[in-house]
Amino acid sequence: MIETQEIETKLLDFLKREVFAPEVLVTSETDLVAAGFDSMSLVRLLLFIETDYGFWIPESEITGDALRNIRALASTIARLINER
Amino acid sequence: MNLTELLDTTAARWPKKVALIEESTVVSYAELAQRTLALAAKLQSLGITRGGRIGLAFPNGVGYVALTFALWRVNAVVVPIPMECTEAEIAELAAAMQLEGTLRQKPRGVCMAVAGDCFLTQLAPPSPPDNHGLNLAFIRFTSGTTSARKGVALGHETIRDRVLSANQAFRIGSDDTVIWCLPMAHHFLITIVLYLGAGATIVLARHVLARPFLEAINHWRGTVLYAAPFHFAMLARDNSGATVPSVRLAVSTTCALPAEVAEEFYQHYKIPLVQGLGVIEFGLVSLNTDDPRGRWNSVGRPAGGFRIQINDPDADGCGEVAVTGPGIFDAYVAPWIPREALLCGGWFPTGDIGRLDAEGFLFLLARKTAVINLAGRKVFPEEIEAVINRHPAVRESRVYGKPHAHLGEVVEVEIVLASPDANLDSVRAFCRDHLASYKIPTRFTVVSALPRTAVTGKIRRAAVVA
Repeated sequence: MIETQEIETKLLDFLKREVFAPEVLVTSETDLVAAGFDSMSLVRLLLFIETDYGFWIPESEITGDALRNIRALASTIARLINER
Repeated sequence: MNLTELLDTTAARWPKKVALIEESTVVSYAELAQRTLALAAKLQSLGITRGGRIGLAFPNGVGYVALTFALWRVNAVVVPIPMECTEAEIAELAAAMQLEGTLRQKPRGVCMAVAGDCFLTQLAPPSPPDNHGLNLAFIRFTSGTTSARKGVALGHETIRDRVLSANQAFRIGSDDTVIWCLPMAHHFLITIVLYLGAGATIVLARHVLARPFLEAINHWRGTVLYAAPFHFAMLARDNSGATVPSVRLAVSTTCALPAEVAEEFYQHYKIPLVQGLGVIEFGLVSLNTDDPRGRWNSVGRPAGGFRIQINDPDADGCGEVAVTGPGIFDAYVAPWIPREALLCGGWFPTGDIGRLDAEGFLFLLARKTAVINLAGRKVFPEEIEAVINRHPAVRESRVYGKPHAHLGEVVEVEIVLASPDANLDSVRAFCRDHLASYKIPTRFTVVSALPRTAVTGKIRRAAVVA
């Protein structure tokens, strides 16, 4: 079992470091789209997950709910990993 | 000729028709034309003059469209600057293209306000740009090595010709509503300019997740979709049960359309995805509109007035694709090379390896160059290597595209370290400071030596199979 918290910490670090501008305040509850998350951000995020967790998130799972914030995203990834 | 005539003609014919929708903002053709006039007057008062090259670093929006046409009204040359560029990349672009100024949302350096959210930063190129007497409208900056050709220059007449040619294939008209999701800094001429010239309505979709995109299509009764395979894959795999009965044309662009995405999209929506060969140097060369089912991998037959031939075909008919047609680019900018110098007997070699089938459908098989296509963003290996090689921990590097099932290719790098205890993390951080995010390699691999060609000793670059 992989813990959601572990994924959340990793995602937060990645998104802060490589996706959002330094001046954007990002927490686990930040609304990603409102903070400027766009389609290229999504590509980078999917690649990060593929590189670190070894799978491509199925397109049917890339929903507004899953991308609501980092916590929701981590929860989706944890579920997908634990289902594998 | 000036491209603003296309907008003005539409505005005179259908003044009240909606040109652009951006969230709750709805702009008619008359309002858009008026806005470009006001902005043009302001730009002129700030000293922008005919032939001046101005960088436009703006996000998608009504403002982007209005500023482009306003710059054209004062006969300035628009040089799009993608929003993901770092300051170092913008400085390189500005110097190479001899920009006289940039338009940005936030004030930077010595600048003047054009509007509430638009500032003109004045730059002083070492020498004034020479447009060689051409009526230039647009320069697409293409990065590369110092020896590469940087910048593709297009005149007003050239763009008009390619827009008219492309619309023989797209057949966009005033009844069409285009749902738009691609970055305007990368896609503007045979898309936004074409749609506005045809009197269509453009809906700027704020985000491209499947459900909001489907909601936008159905809310605005979109008739045309123009998006990347990545977007169509998400739509194809949506499980909400939504349909898109208003859509008549769905065009896949930016990178090769995987056949399984095309098939899944067709099974889901009963709309055949069409793809074409669109290149900044030529415009739309071909489009696969003749029932693409069964030949999803083809980029279609020649569009508009284009002709295609295969140079020096092998026994299987494969060779370099050469094209000729209306609206071919005017020149490369740095160094300045006019198109006539590059034409071979009236044909322009594309650098793509392909074949034509018996019915004249073009299939692209590989490229002669090592350029990487990451979900439609072109990445030049030499540019990334030049940055990485500046890091003291790196002796040399080789950047290459690794085929990827969903994105076309991803960027990876092999590095020979200057010393065994050198730190790769600092190389990654260096890349983040100097490269747009999509250019940063996904994987960094340390190797003891790079593969080299036997004859010249240059780093070996395999041709990439599309």
